[in-house]
Amino acid sequence: MNRILGIELRRSAAPGSALVLLVVGVLLLFFAEGIAFATGWMQLAMTQRLYLALLWPLALAAGAWQARREHRSNVTELFASTPRPRAQRTVPTLGAMAVAVVCAYLAMGVAGGLWIIGTAEYLPASVFVVTAVGALALIAAAWLGLAIGRLLPRLVTAPALAVAGLALLLLIPGATRPRGWLALVFSPIYEMNMPGAYSTVPGRASVAQAAWLAALAGGAVLLFASSGWRVRVAALLPVVAGAALAVAVMPHQSRFVTDAIDPVARELVCAADEPPVCVSRVHSGLLSEVIPPAREGLAILAKLPGAPTRVHEDTTTYVPEGYPPWHEDVVLLEIEAGPNGHLLDADTAVTDVVAGAFASPPGCEKSAGLAERLAAAYWLIGREPVAGEANDPEDIAKAVELWRSLRQLPDDEAKARVAALRRAAVTCSVGEELTSSGTR
Amino acid sequence: MRTVSAAETVPTTYPWAVHAEGLRVRAGRHVAVDGLDLALGTGVHGLLGPNGAGKTTLIRALATVLKPAGGRLTLLGESVDGRADLRRVRRGLGYLPQQFGFYPRFTVREFVEYMAWLKEMPKAAVPGAVQRAIDRVGLAAKAGSRMKTLSGGMLRRAGIAQAIVNDPAVLLLDEPTVGLDPEQRLDFRELLRDLGVDSCVLVSTHLVEDVVAACTDVVIINEGRLVHQGTPDDLVAQGGEGDAGDSPAERGYSALLRRHRAGAPR
Repeated sequence: MNRILGIELRRSAAPGSALVLLVVGVLLLFFAEGIAFATGWMQLAMTQRLYLALLWPLALAAGAWQARREHRSNVTELFASTPRPRAQRTVPTLGAMAVAVVCAYLAMGVAGGLWIIGTAEYLPASVFVVTAVGALALIAAAWLGLAIGRLLPRLVTAPALAVAGLALLLLIPGATRPRGWLALVFSPIYEMNMPGAYSTVPGRASVAQAAWLAALAGGAVLLFASSGWRVRVAALLPVVAGAALAVAVMPHQSRFVTDAIDPVARELVCAADEPPVCVSRVHSGLLSEVIPPAREGLAILAKLPGAPTRVHEDTTTYVPEGYPPWHEDVVLLEIEAGPNGHLLDADTAVTDVVAGAFASPPGCEKSAGLAERLAAAYWLIGREPVAGEANDPEDIAKAVELWRSLRQLPDDEAKARVAALRRAAVTCSVGEELTSSGTR
Repeated sequence: MRTVSAAETVPTTYPWAVHAEGLRVRAGRHVAVDGLDLALGTGVHGLLGPNGAGKTTLIRALATVLKPAGGRLTLLGESVDGRADLRRVRRGLGYLPQQFGFYPRFTVREFVEYMAWLKEMPKAAVPGAVQRAIDRVGLAAKAGSRMKTLSGGMLRRAGIAQAIVNDPAVLLLDEPTVGLDPEQRLDFRELLRDLGVDSCVLVSTHLVEDVVAACTDVVIINEGRLVHQGTPDDLVAQGGEGDAGDSPAERGYSALLRRHRAGAPR
């Protein structure tokens, strides 16, 4: 059997299919929407799942193309005279196609992994589960393609299946609305887009999807191996049973994956030495890049009375809403991995730390505006505010104006105003601290 | 160490490798074999008959591809009917269809090995059997070539190699010499004689000279019925000066058909 599997791996549509899936997958991974997976392994696994939108229909088509071989090669009569039952005859073909699509999917993951291996340290077990479900989806697609291609051995079957598969994946969300969880059961790509730093796929979602995809694959095998209509009708049974099981296992709530947060990914990990600098576990690979600007920022802030002494990553999530604990002595710093996996905006990290000292607690309505925070931060740093990519030019213009007015003041007066802004910010009572001396 | 072939796993106590009584086989709606009585044992049997005589339908039925519509058919001691488990019988069969289908991307060796696997040969015996089959048809130099690159004659030889890889007890060859050049045909006759020592070989062909040169037994059918069965010498003896044909055997063949047609009910 191994030798026959080896022959099939070399001579069937398997190697070509693997190559096409790998090339398309890698191109999608790196060029479709920029590099959306740089944060870490879970983001890579989820991004791969998202691109099943194209890979799944391609696997379907590959299976259908392979299934035409027997018809095209006119071997039906010869094979019918041999003793090995059809069910056994299909095993090497099924195996070769499964090995091909899984290898392509894993190789695509390896290509992405090589990109982030230097910076992504947090590797939860759920990454393997999410990847395994993606691979299972491709196996199911290839086998379903084999089954349909055998039933309809026409030249047009493979391209038609590719288009139909793509349409199916794109239409599932709309067709199941408002029951989004149904889309999550039947579509391996649903809710996999734009994963956040702390995103995860809950185990129940993966179990439900795996049940459905395994059932679909099982039904496809029966259909492909069948030699009569009874078995073909019986092939529906595992599919229906799998769908029922998956529907039962999947929680019936919308945004089940989108709202899921991995608490371990969000936990803080800190530098061993002082002053403390902490980042979330998912960004632990960036800690060494965060420490120098964080400590430089703390050193600049030390001029202020009651200055913060620690820098923590801002682990706020907006969907669902969640905030890190608020401490006056902590500067919260937003950390994001750039497309290369390294710290995004590393050149503005010092400014971000210093400006972060003028942030207010969550829910505060009297907080300092961006312009005021930038003006205060740049005064402490000792240079004029400059425009950053994310900053509104109006904020920068106002920050420059405020900064200049601070510069015109005696140092003690300016420092007092900046310190007042800091106090007001942390107590959620910001007024006209930078422009007025009467508030101190 | 001696390898065990699949043919040796089937019982050898049957009196005839192929035994048909009143066999009827349909080719679509048409009854192409109609009440055929036939008994074939070890040796090389040449199957002759005009176009539409039912040769291919008979061979397909013997290859268990077509189910008999009536009568009795026994292969290797096993009755072949709609309910029979043909798996054991098929292990002892070798078959080269008239339209030989193959996977074009496979090499010769891979295709023969694949067929050995389909024939459920013992795993350990496969490599040696594959090499032996390829050597016997003279394709050793092309064993690593893809099937799609072979000429018509080479393809036919590859087809014979896959048919004999399991040392079949019953070997069915439908038009095996199509595409072979004269030298290859001579080699093929030699191969047939060799195969017929231990096996029941049935060769369907239009080439009477091949039958006379290589076969121990001649079977002529027409309109699905047995016209004649005997030795090549018997066939030669049937012809006269007035019969059509370039050789004594062809004249004998023409004479038998003529007499059968004259005696056949209208």
